[in-house]
Amino acid sequence: MLIWLILIAFLGSCLAGPVSRAADRWAGWLLALLPAGLFVTLIKISPVMERGWVLGDGLNWAPYLDLYLTFRLDGFSFLMTLLITGVGTLVVIYSGAYLSEKSLKDRGRFFTLILLFMTAMLGAVLADNLIVMLVFWEATSILSFLLIGFDGRSARARRSALMSLYTTAAGGLALLAAILLIGQALGTYSLGEVRARADELAASPLIVPILAGLMIGAFTKSAQFPFHFWLPNAMQAPTPASAFLHSATMVKLGIYLLARFEPVIAAVPYGRWVLVTVGGATMLIAAFQALRAEGFKTALAYSTIASLGILVTLIGLTGPAASVAMVGFLFAHALYKAALFFCAGSVLHATGLQNLRALGGLIRLLPLTGVATVLASLSMAGLPPFFGFISKEFLFQAQLESTSALVSLAVIVLVNAAMVGVAAVITLRPFFMGRGKISEVKHGETPGLVMPPLVLALAGLFLSLDPAWVSSNVLRPAAVAVYGEAIEVKVHLWHGITPMLMLSFVVVIIGALIAWYWKSIHLRLRKSRVFEVVDFDRYFETTLETLHLLSARLTGLVQHGDLRTYLWVVFAAVTALLLFAWNAAGLMPRLPQVDALRPAPAVVALVGMAGALAAARARGLLTAMIATGLVGFAVAVGFMFNGAPDLALTQFTVEALIVVLLTALLLAVPLAAPPTRTNTERRFDALIATVIGVVLFVALVDMTSASHGGAISTFMGNQSYLAAKGHNVVNVILVDFRGFDTLGETVVIAMSAVLAWSLLGPRLREQVWSHERRSPFILQLTAPVFFWLLLITSLWILLRGHDQPGGGFIGGLVAALAFAMIALAHGLERARRTLRIHPVVVVGIGMFLALLSGFPGMQDGSAYLTHLWYEGDALKLSTTMVFDLGVYIVVLGGVLAFLFGLQRGAEK
Amino acid sequence: MDGLALIAPVIVPLLGAAIAAMLRERPIAQRTVMEISVVTMALASLLLFLKVKDGYELIMAFGSWIRPVAISFRADALGATLSLVTGLIGAAGMIYARADVAARRRRSGFDPLFLSLLAAVNGAFLTGDLFNMYVWFELMLVCALGLITLDRRKAQIDGAVRYAALSMMGATFILVGIAFIVAEVGTLEFRDLRLTLAARDLSLSIVTGGALMLAGFALKAGLFPLFFWLPASYHTAPIVASAVFAGLLTKAGFYACLRVLVTLFGMDMLPGFPVAIGVIAGLTMVVCAGCALAQTDLRRLFSFHIIAQVGYMAMGLSLASLIGLQAAIFYIVHSIIVQTNLFFAAGAIYRADGSFDLRTAGGISRSQPLLAGMVAVPILSLSGIPPFSGFWAKLTVLRAGFEQGMMWLPAAALFAGLLTIISMGSVWANGFWKSRAGGRIARPVPTSMFWAIATLSAATLAIGLFPGFLWEVAGIAAHALELGGTR
Amino acid sequence: MNLVYALMASVIVACSIYMILSRNLVRLLLGMSMLATGVNIVIFMSGNTQSPRPPLIEEGAIVLTDAADPLPQALILTAIVIGFALTLVLATLTLRAWRAERTLNTGQMRGAEDLGDPTRPGKREG
Repeated sequence: MLIWLILIAFLGSCLAGPVSRAADRWAGWLLALLPAGLFVTLIKISPVMERGWVLGDGLNWAPYLDLYLTFRLDGFSFLMTLLITGVGTLVVIYSGAYLSEKSLKDRGRFFTLILLFMTAMLGAVLADNLIVMLVFWEATSILSFLLIGFDGRSARARRSALMSLYTTAAGGLALLAAILLIGQALGTYSLGEVRARADELAASPLIVPILAGLMIGAFTKSAQFPFHFWLPNAMQAPTPASAFLHSATMVKLGIYLLARFEPVIAAVPYGRWVLVTVGGATMLIAAFQALRAEGFKTALAYSTIASLGILVTLIGLTGPAASVAMVGFLFAHALYKAALFFCAGSVLHATGLQNLRALGGLIRLLPLTGVATVLASLSMAGLPPFFGFISKEFLFQAQLESTSALVSLAVIVLVNAAMVGVAAVITLRPFFMGRGKISEVKHGETPGLVMPPLVLALAGLFLSLDPAWVSSNVLRPAAVAVYGEAIEVKVHLWHGITPMLMLSFVVVIIGALIAWYWKSIHLRLRKSRVFEVVDFDRYFETTLETLHLLSARLTGLVQHGDLRTYLWVVFAAVTALLLFAWNAAGLMPRLPQVDALRPAPAVVALVGMAGALAAARARGLLTAMIATGLVGFAVAVGFMFNGAPDLALTQFTVEALIVVLLTALLLAVPLAAPPTRTNTERRFDALIATVIGVVLFVALVDMTSASHGGAISTFMGNQSYLAAKGHNVVNVILVDFRGFDTLGETVVIAMSAVLAWSLLGPRLREQVWSHERRSPFILQLTAPVFFWLLLITSLWILLRGHDQPGGGFIGGLVAALAFAMIALAHGLERARRTLRIHPVVVVGIGMFLALLSGFPGMQDGSAYLTHLWYEGDALKLSTTMVFDLGVYIVVLGGVLAFLFGLQRGAEK
Repeated sequence: MDGLALIAPVIVPLLGAAIAAMLRERPIAQRTVMEISVVTMALASLLLFLKVKDGYELIMAFGSWIRPVAISFRADALGATLSLVTGLIGAAGMIYARADVAARRRRSGFDPLFLSLLAAVNGAFLTGDLFNMYVWFELMLVCALGLITLDRRKAQIDGAVRYAALSMMGATFILVGIAFIVAEVGTLEFRDLRLTLAARDLSLSIVTGGALMLAGFALKAGLFPLFFWLPASYHTAPIVASAVFAGLLTKAGFYACLRVLVTLFGMDMLPGFPVAIGVIAGLTMVVCAGCALAQTDLRRLFSFHIIAQVGYMAMGLSLASLIGLQAAIFYIVHSIIVQTNLFFAAGAIYRADGSFDLRTAGGISRSQPLLAGMVAVPILSLSGIPPFSGFWAKLTVLRAGFEQGMMWLPAAALFAGLLTIISMGSVWANGFWKSRAGGRIARPVPTSMFWAIATLSAATLAIGLFPGFLWEVAGIAAHALELGGTR
Repeated sequence: MNLVYALMASVIVACSIYMILSRNLVRLLLGMSMLATGVNIVIFMSGNTQSPRPPLIEEGAIVLTDAADPLPQALILTAIVIGFALTLVLATLTLRAWRAERTLNTGQMRGAEDLGDPTRPGKREG
């Protein structure tokens, strides 16, 4: 039933856009049927509430996440839902009239947002699972953001929307942390269970962060000091949204949360004290600000904050009377404040003016609005026979019965007096005083504008004249739900002469004085500099600016754009991580077994080291390149000495090709390389390089004593000939045992060729090829011979690869050299024509072949890259050859793409 | 059939890449080949996912050799889930590319590079072999460089240089790390490594290997302080490329961190690693979310958020608990989809406004409300607003943190979350609400862009509304990861 | 001998890192290429057996006996090829960077990082 309630509300809000477009002028009235229907449904279950029962409903949402879509309707939720749907109905009706000038699109958007908001509110007050409650809670924050920024073109609206978002979202995060910690402490996310086990929670070591999170969440949402500043700014929202979100319902969510957790707060010694202090501070500041406010809506906003402060204080007070007072005041406030917001909206709508001092004499032009304002204001001032009076009586009773200090009583009296003053001012000034200030209005009263405030204001009157139903069906169940035990609630207009009545009297007297001297108080307060101290707007702006400034500084610090420093930091970080890991493991390097020094390899190694040092110290780029090449060759010779002819061959060829290709590059760039680092930077670089060298050396020393069974290498050695039919184990590994790596590596070459062509190839409309090259006659004569020789050699290397050093990769490199010869002798154009096919296409073909060679073996259910063999008398054929041929072709195409590209690029 | 499903996510796009390379002068044909390949790949990934999502494993040892000798593919719930998400991203990218990639970019090799990139990512997710994983990362790097420089713009070349230099260092760390591990155990298959290493005493070589691989993959994942390559290059690439990078590359790097460290050394990894990763994670979140705040270029802003988000995942890893891993895996999936979508959104805003600059952009919420609504989904999700995927991702990571008795790391995560909300709020206010500079109306956005965004937004929403499914899958994946393979 | 190779690898790697830290792009490129070479030595040292005999199964024999460990060799071959490809890619980028920016100093290349720098006025790109 409760889930259906929310679901219907949600579906209804999804339909709001189209419906409002179809219904046009009647959209408000039509759409109001949704909240009205929900309201009536709720009223119908009020007998259940009267008996003090609780309705529950649940679905599994994500049980593994402890996420149960459980809802729970008790007295307090019932009061909230009544307010949400009841005020919601009037808000929707009012919006239809208020937004009559907006475009259809905008109106549709507004209705959708408002109804979605109503859905979210219903969910938040009905949810039993705390995470589900948080989901709806955050949804209200986002919808509030969207409604405040409804007119996104206005910079003020955007700023206000962001302010409310940031504040409430911060609170939402705090609340999230608190809820997760509650789950941690109690192992449950059920609100009901948490309330039942409040003492256990209060004894948990996590209670401090939990309470802090809860309170920050509640204070931000309910605009408590020092987070109150967002609410007055939120008045940028269209007035119906202000009435609904920022006075009647959403800002009460924080109160709702605190009330729900009251048992927990009460169980810690400082809990109540915090609430009373924060509530007191909030209402004091807000009361002064309300008197200082210039705008109609702003004054109302501050008075709302003050009321919220009173509510927080009431939660902080002990005793059943506090609970009754809290519930009663919450109810009364929702009625009169929403009505006043409606009236303020009508005034704004009619005159386009906000400033209280500029308004006047509107009673003639907006008579019904004036009547509603008077009625609501009287309730706000707490005068009999309005509902505000009853709630105020409870308020004083709670204050008197509570164990708290008298200071807060004085504060409450003062604040209430200020509220009386404000109520008087906002009624008298715009409507009755200053006759003639406004002579005509843009929009007159329409039923949609008048009905909602009148209904609310009259409700405040009639409910107090006959309070039986509301007290037994709404207020008592709510108070009981908040207090946790059965209590008696007596709602009467007349209690006789009581201390509470005396206090009310005092309040009214002071309030009347404030109203009388409003102008001078107002002007004095406006001039006063004290308020600059509590100008949280400015603090907020400053904080945000500082944050942006810090962020820009931080960006400049970490993302400065200097590649060298990036690399340096990376090296330093990795070294630090390595040393940290060593230290954490607490290991020393194992000492190596010293083996015999072989002279020839040792000399080669020395040459390599010398080359490396020379390369690092070289001033010119050419020297550096030659020295680098020397290192490569020395390492290649080293491989030769250590039983790795394939490596040696490959390294030789690669070094040779790199030299050839880099020469093409160096032809294009300046060879002189002026120093790019300062001496200090060089020293730092040398330092980190040395440190890394030493660390690596230590690690390598340890590595030399590492040993293992070598089972895999042995297997490969044993099966290479028997099963894979190759003598050259390395090649067999490459094309068979670990052929998949080779496939990946082939694709790397292929893609780098695509990249090379994309970067170096001609663009459309560019001259495609360079001119024929004039080279020595002898070269031109011998080039074809070399070409064919190299090409045949490359094929020979390819074919013998399986048994002897060689293979597709080296073969492809040699074949590329053949084309390089042609390019050298006759220019690129001839080389390209000799190739006939575009290098990138060649690469594609090779890649395709290599990839396909893995499939035939799969026909009997074997794995990919299972090679097939055909062994005749004279020749062996196998899919490995196709694979290797593919590699060969890719390498040929790839190297040619670079060769042609780099030479072409360098020639330009 | 199982075998084909297992290799198809890699081999199909590679075949497509080969064919596309052969068709280099025919953009339309290339596009057709690319789209067929991507769809086939995505379907194969889906099939694979359905086969293993309940905790099974599919294994193929290439060449039919016995397993630790041969390279093997091993699809468990983790790899297959991520492969499925890769398929989704590929498909969305394919749709988006219809509008974003014109014939000129296709002639420059967009299709083969894009397909190979997807293949490489899938390869990294599915491989069961350490060295093979390295190969796929190198392929990712080359393809990414190719895609960044597709237009040959000055900024692209410069960005690519930075990307290349730093990324190659990362690859080097990984390679050296592998060498140290190989020296100690002589094997490369993950499961074999797990078994062999478990039977051995810790040695300096093993620690060195582990630390270097952590460093290398952390660089690829963009963790603090190794992330510089990312904000230096991602904002220069064509938007489809940036978007796919944003979704997949860093996450592949982080996946490798998870896979390698947890498989090789178990959940507690090596001594000191949880602490080190925790510190790195905290700094990554706060510093990068902080940097994002001041950014005005949308792509750069989102770039910093990519990194910050990896911090949350790393936090899950640093907790050294099963639920932490589960949360990290959940986070990866959420983040891949959202980050790609955000870059798509940036591209759409560029189409509408002619600029990526937040200071001049604006007005989308009025001119194209439907698009704005679609883009709101990833923005809200990144901010961690319920009921979108980001909320659950954040919630699970935080909860895992609290469960380990951590306080400062969740606190850092919450602070970074607030910074993210601030940044996203400003994106919304400036990019969507504000009127465009000069008061001009934003131009319409091509429908294919809209549908790409809508697809990913729908995925985000689905995860948000039904987090239980992904959470369960993430749980199975975490178990599989922790177990290091059953066969 | 192992220690000599360890020293050789460390020296080569240290020198490469010093070169990589240079702001001259060509030097960085050469450093990268040399670093790959140094890393190959590290991988080579990870072999299980050290023997000067190549892992070729002799004519007539059916299994490999007493030879260098073939597995690291295969890994190195893959690494060499990839390193080769990446070196060429970097060379290509270097050439393009020189054409685009007319400088080889990475400190003066601002193409990427200035784009989208929040401290600069917004500009439209084509």
